[in-house]
Amino acid sequence: MKRKTIVALALTFLMALSLVACGTPASSSAPASTPAGSSTPESTPASTPESTPESTGGADGYEIALITDIGTIDDKSFNQGAWEGVVQYAEENNITHKYYQPTEKTDDAYLAGIDLAVEGGAKIIVTPGYLFEVPIFIAQETYPDVTFILIDGSPHNADYSEFLTADNTVGITYAEEQAGYLAGYAAVKDGNTKLGFMGGMAVPAVVRFGYGYIQGADAAAQEMGLGAGSITMNYYYTGDFVATPEIQTMSASWYDNDGVEVIFGCGGAVGNSVMAAAQASDKKVIGVDVDQSGESPTVITSAMKELAISVYDTLTNYYAGSFPGGQNLIFSAENDGVGLPWGSSKFETFTQADYDAIYAKLADGSITIVKDTDADGNEVKVEDVPTTAVVVTNLNA
Amino acid sequence: MNIVYFLVQQTMFFSIPLLIVALGGMFSERSGVINIALEGTMIMGGFTGILFIHTFQDALPGQPILLLGALVAMATGVVVSLAHGYASINMKANQVISGTAINMFAPAFAIFVARMIQNVQQISFVNQFRISSVPVLGDIPVLGPLFFQNTYITTLLGLLIWGASWFVLYKTRFGLRLRACGEHPQAADSVGINVYGMRYAGVMISGALAGLGGLVFIIPTSTQFNATVSGYGFLALAVLIFGQWRPGRILMAAFFFGLMKAIASSYSGIELLRSLPIPSDVYKMIPYIATLVVLAFTSKRSMAPRAEGIPYDKGGR
Repeated sequence: MKRKTIVALALTFLMALSLVACGTPASSSAPASTPAGSSTPESTPASTPESTPESTGGADGYEIALITDIGTIDDKSFNQGAWEGVVQYAEENNITHKYYQPTEKTDDAYLAGIDLAVEGGAKIIVTPGYLFEVPIFIAQETYPDVTFILIDGSPHNADYSEFLTADNTVGITYAEEQAGYLAGYAAVKDGNTKLGFMGGMAVPAVVRFGYGYIQGADAAAQEMGLGAGSITMNYYYTGDFVATPEIQTMSASWYDNDGVEVIFGCGGAVGNSVMAAAQASDKKVIGVDVDQSGESPTVITSAMKELAISVYDTLTNYYAGSFPGGQNLIFSAENDGVGLPWGSSKFETFTQADYDAIYAKLADGSITIVKDTDADGNEVKVEDVPTTAVVVTNLNA
Repeated sequence: MNIVYFLVQQTMFFSIPLLIVALGGMFSERSGVINIALEGTMIMGGFTGILFIHTFQDALPGQPILLLGALVAMATGVVVSLAHGYASINMKANQVISGTAINMFAPAFAIFVARMIQNVQQISFVNQFRISSVPVLGDIPVLGPLFFQNTYITTLLGLLIWGASWFVLYKTRFGLRLRACGEHPQAADSVGINVYGMRYAGVMISGALAGLGGLVFIIPTSTQFNATVSGYGFLALAVLIFGQWRPGRILMAAFFFGLMKAIASSYSGIELLRSLPIPSDVYKMIPYIATLVVLAFTSKRSMAPRAEGIPYDKGGR
């Protein structure tokens, strides 16, 4: 009997794992972020909020505070990008600044972190990550004199019944579809005709990246006068943000058996398994969120969100007395909120002039991109994304 | 034909770590100690192995550093398994509990130490270990592309370990004694075999192989180690049971499971399979359904070591 119990336990655990991996978590409450090359939820640092060597103390405490979510300030992703923006502004203007790490990944721990920051003299608090949506919703009323910058989300209560961005708060989100658009456009302009999209969980941010990627590729194909079906794209959500041999094999299969030339690895560590396959097959990868060119020589470019710039700009506005309180801002090409890292990109025929031209078109709003929801808030399916030259094979169907 | 080559090559990436880890589990369980800590041991082995490679990859060339990393991973596995051995052999603790403890401890430890050392929990490595074609052998028609192209030295190592495991278990005095301790430790003790010693040996071999399996698992899968082996330790446990605690059957089970996994993950790049009107979820289920079916037919004759999971008590009968 004992044997059976153990086997049952082990298999139950395994099934739970595989269920998690296979699920299609597309609920509206799903977190909207792709932690690039970084944290899974287990990564919660178990340290207490503590002072750091980087902080520069003053008699009346630390004026700008940053609370990290899962991950640390050197996670090559959200926290690092936001912290770089804080440090850049604070050092240029000689303002005291410090970061705090919550003890664990819960709303209470985040609120405790905010409490500590306020006690430490914080006047403006930067919180990177959608996980802060609920804590900020509470904190913005608890501390009306403190200003909050919430990145990659907008404040709401725990059951999503109430959305409120108070006057002392600004919510920042990114136009992921534009970043994806640039990546897809560049990939096709660079001569690739067989593309792949390996998304993580189908959360809104990932979906927007993916739809933008499709439409960018399509736009480039039209400009180049390519006919219907001349560009093909394999489109898949893995359902998780981790690296697995399954993703490696699937990517390898696309590269080797299907002739796919470049895959957009859009979901944290998912990209690392794609890179592993690309290295073996000598093919190309597009990174996500931050410049991932350092992670593998196969990364030709990355669909980036410019976290540091948006934090820097918002801090500038705050100290200039023009803080956009109460608003939910979208950082897009218009205000340099998204883009490709030109310096580290490895294109063959796609030139900086091409890039600047398409970027200008995105910035002036002459290109409209279908997003994860339409104007009425209804979900848009992959099949509904309008294309003329690109044939998308939806492998989740 | 290319698709067959591709599937076989990819199957290796799944099968070899499963085979190595399941063989490790076999040594422990045949000596009478349940080792549910395979997952945690894999993580620890992968962690130190990758950390070693990360640290020295600029100083040393490709294959030697992989082999050294493998040694580091094995040594780590042994150390981890000693904790399990002490709890379950000397302290007579519940073997499932101490194994579970290691499974919970390992990822936390890997993250914590990685953060302490380099501030970031992901440990990156450069994969300079892939052998696109083995000299001479890779040029053999059919067999070359099947087994000697796009491969790793660890694949060969895994098969060698399999052969050695079979030999040790069935053809040596040590193997006979190990098996005796797992079936009837009192009888073994009565003829002067040190049951505690044999069980320690079983657990330590198991730790070494599980640690190695962790490293072998990570190398082809990603470009960094992020304190997880995606549940493959538990999968190896299933392979062990599926394989009836015997090297021959474990080999078959590992390759069966690996092939199913490879088909399930690569169907979308294969035009023939993709054109079939089958939803993607069905392909994902294939490995599990196949296992359930096979287990349903074979589990009647379960060959678990009889004394497995029971702490040895000298005074008992």
